[in-house]
Amino acid sequence: MSGRVIVITSGKGGVGKTTTNANIGTALAKAGKKVVMIDTDLGLRNLDLLLGLENRIVYTIVDVVEERCKLKQALVKDKRNPNLCLLAAAQTRDKSAVTEEQLKDICDQLKKDFDFILVDCPAGIEQGFQNAVAGASEAIVVTTPEMSAVRDADRIIGLLEAKEEIKSYKLLLNRVRPNLIKSNDMMSVEDVVEILSADLIGIIPEDTGIITSTNKGEPIVNDEKSLAGKAYNNVARRIIGEDVPFLNLEEPQGVMAKMKKFFSGLMGKEKS
Amino acid sequence: MILANLYNKVIGFFRQTETQETETAKETACNRLRVVLMQDRTNLTPELMERMRKELVELLSKYVEMDKDALELNLEQDGDQVALMLSIPVIRAKDEEEIKAALEASEDSSDVEYAEDEDLDDEGDFEETEDENNDDDDEDYVSEEEPETSEKEKVTENEKKEK
Repeated sequence: MSGRVIVITSGKGGVGKTTTNANIGTALAKAGKKVVMIDTDLGLRNLDLLLGLENRIVYTIVDVVEERCKLKQALVKDKRNPNLCLLAAAQTRDKSAVTEEQLKDICDQLKKDFDFILVDCPAGIEQGFQNAVAGASEAIVVTTPEMSAVRDADRIIGLLEAKEEIKSYKLLLNRVRPNLIKSNDMMSVEDVVEILSADLIGIIPEDTGIITSTNKGEPIVNDEKSLAGKAYNNVARRIIGEDVPFLNLEEPQGVMAKMKKFFSGLMGKEKS
Repeated sequence: MILANLYNKVIGFFRQTETQETETAKETACNRLRVVLMQDRTNLTPELMERMRKELVELLSKYVEMDKDALELNLEQDGDQVALMLSIPVIRAKDEEEIKAALEASEDSSDVEYAEDEDLDDEGDFEETEDENNDDDDEDYVSEEEPETSEKEKVTENEKKEK
């Protein structure tokens, strides 16, 4: 077996790298793939929290590198899905504790046993980014339709293009707000794609469910009703190679939303 | 004089807010991003652009008389290609003798002169709103005197808008 190593990166912090990682990883595992996620955000680890695995971590990637344990011992199995594993970051060390070479070596070893190795990249473009990218041959650039996130994504794309090992990169547009786009207050998906001239692999709507799912430590792809969960599931299917159309994010279809729309329509008419 | 300045600034302020209102937040974001990404991608800082602008003014002034403050130099993206867009409001073309004189003068090129230019231009930057107003006035003035150049000028303006 030779797994695919995909780094999930963004440049800017807070755009949803880790959330994306947790959800795509879970979705791929649900689709029957063997998946391992590597958290390379040394000192600021969070992937374990999003997966609800924070209490199960015994060894971290630094322990592996410093040979206090074997690689397999450090892999934490997911609660629900035996196909899914996490290699956690060390919380008490900084980015210099693992080198590019060491990360590449770990990825190469994991390739033998897993279909997908998802590398969660820290924010920024410094050594942490260089380390995370070192072992990967594909990248997913997470951004949001906000100026600062798009600018940073552009920078990251520039850096990825300069790396020979990265064979392809795709754009994932997170926290999209259809209502704001409709009122011309937010850049549209098309705008961002055009500005960055990159291929799109997913459009994830802003979803308050993400907050509760993070609080519970349960990725939102497990929630069948969630639109964001569906969108993440679709991303996973596209990664596997399926041709899945993008979700229509226009207007939530709940009863309340319809009522609201109806009443605001009435109000509008009265005024004019 | 002070009053006139103040008047221009106030009017300039309102004009600015007006134009911002017609542009949606999304358009503003896209336009600002395009400019800033051009700079990021090309390593052309605003200082370098300003320097390029000054040097172009210096060069082109030898051949034409133009509205130096209204000269616009922008980087724009057209697909994968980056283009330098230059818009020069020409007041009038210089005649042969003037060009000759200008060329000779530039051959003895004095650094002092350039330094002076820089100072003047810097002042201009601080009062950009004022410049915009002047720009409008100049255009009217030009179209009265020399229709030919003003047409050309409008073409460049239109081209720019299309882009």
